[in-house]
Amino acid sequence: MRRSTAAAVGTLTGAALIIGVRLSVTPPEAPVAQAPVADLQDSSPAPAKKPTTKPAANGEGAKEEEKAPEKAKTGFKDGVFKGNAAANPYGKIQVTIKVEGGEITGADATYPTANDSGTINPPAIATLKQSTLGATSADVAAVSGATYTSESYVKSLQAALDAAKA
Amino acid sequence: MGTTVSIELADDRPEEELRRLIAGVCDWLHEVDARFSTYKADSEVSRLARGELRIDDCSADLRHVLKMCADLWRDTDGYFDAYAGGSLDPSGYVKGWSVEVASARLADAGSHDHYINAGGDIRMRGRHPEGGPWRVGIRHPWEADKVSWVLALNDGAVATSGTYERGDHVINPRTGQPARGLRSVTVVGPDLSVADAYATAALAMGEAGIAWLAKRAADGYDSAVVTDDGRAFSSANLPAAV
Repeated sequence: MRRSTAAAVGTLTGAALIIGVRLSVTPPEAPVAQAPVADLQDSSPAPAKKPTTKPAANGEGAKEEEKAPEKAKTGFKDGVFKGNAAANPYGKIQVTIKVEGGEITGADATYPTANDSGTINPPAIATLKQSTLGATSADVAAVSGATYTSESYVKSLQAALDAAKA
Repeated sequence: MGTTVSIELADDRPEEELRRLIAGVCDWLHEVDARFSTYKADSEVSRLARGELRIDDCSADLRHVLKMCADLWRDTDGYFDAYAGGSLDPSGYVKGWSVEVASARLADAGSHDHYINAGGDIRMRGRHPEGGPWRVGIRHPWEADKVSWVLALNDGAVATSGTYERGDHVINPRTGQPARGLRSVTVVGPDLSVADAYATAALAMGEAGIAWLAKRAADGYDSAVVTDDGRAFSSANLPAAV
C-alpha cells in the first residue's frame, strides 16, 4: 500500500520537475520538486499514516499531509484532484492530477509566467559578450600579445615602449 | 626560448639595487632556458625526452613542471598538451612559471611594484611609477601598432596566444592540425602559467574555446578573444581600464 503511495508521489514529483525544466530555473533554495503536491484534498476519507515529510524550505503552502486511501487496490479514487498551491520565491505552483480506474492518467501544473519569474528566465548562462573589435593607440605601460620571437620583438609595440623608457 | 623579456621595476629604490634585482631575474631566466629548453640538447628536458634521465632523477623544478602540465592537460580537456608536437615540450608551461617565480623572488627581495613581460605574457605587481594600476594593452591581432583592449591591473597576469605572430604554431592535439577559428586569445588571472595554458588551450579548441573560457571566469580567469573573422568577445569581469 505504502508502495503505491510512494509511486504516486514519485509521479507527482516528476511532474513538478518538468515544471522546473520548463521554467529553466534550478534555484537550489526553491525546492519546487518538493512542493507538497501530494496533499490530495479530495481523496479518500480514510487517511494513511502521515509520513514525516520535511517541510519545504520556504515553509509556505505546505500542509504536510499525504492522505492515501486504503481501500482501492491502487489507493486512488477516480476524479481530478488539485494539490495545495505551493508558494516559492518565484510564484505559486499548483499540481493537478487526474485519476481514472484508480490509476493516475494525467498530471498538470500551473506555474508562474509573469512577475518575478520573468526576471529569472532564462537563467544567466556564463558567456563572453560580443563587442566591436577596438583599435586604439592608448597610453599603456606594457603590451600583451602572441609570443614574439627575438627577431619580431624589434618591430613590436612593447619594443617601442621599452625604447621610450630606456 | 628565443624571445625577449622586458622588465620594469617601479620601486623607489637606489638604481644600483634595482639593477642588481634585474640582473637576478635575467640570471634566473637564463638558468631556466638552459635547463628546460627543447632547443638545447643538454637541457634536463632534452635528456628526459631522450630517456637518458629518469623522472625520479629529475630536479624538483622539472618534476613540478611535469605535474603541472599533467594537471593542466586534465583541466583543459587535453587541449593544453605538452606532447602535442609528438615529444615532450613543456615550454608552454615553463615560460609562465619561470616569470611567476621571478616575480615572486622580486617581491621577496623588496620589489613590490614591477612587471615582467616575457614575449607578450605579463606578470605584474603593485603600481605604475606614476601611481595607479599598470595599464596593459592587448595587441590588435591585425594592426601591430594598435591595441584592442586596455586593462588596468595591480596584481595579476595577462597571457595572450595568437596565430598572427608565429603562424600555425598552435596545434589542436585532438586533430593534429593547426588551430583554426580564433586569432587571438587573452586570459587574465592570478597565475601567469595557468593563464598562458588556458589561452593556448582555448586557441587550440577554436571557436568552442569561447564557451570554455566563459566557464573559467568563475575561477578568476577572465578573457578576451578575437575570432579569425574579426569578432571580439570578452568576459564580464575583464579588468578593462576606464
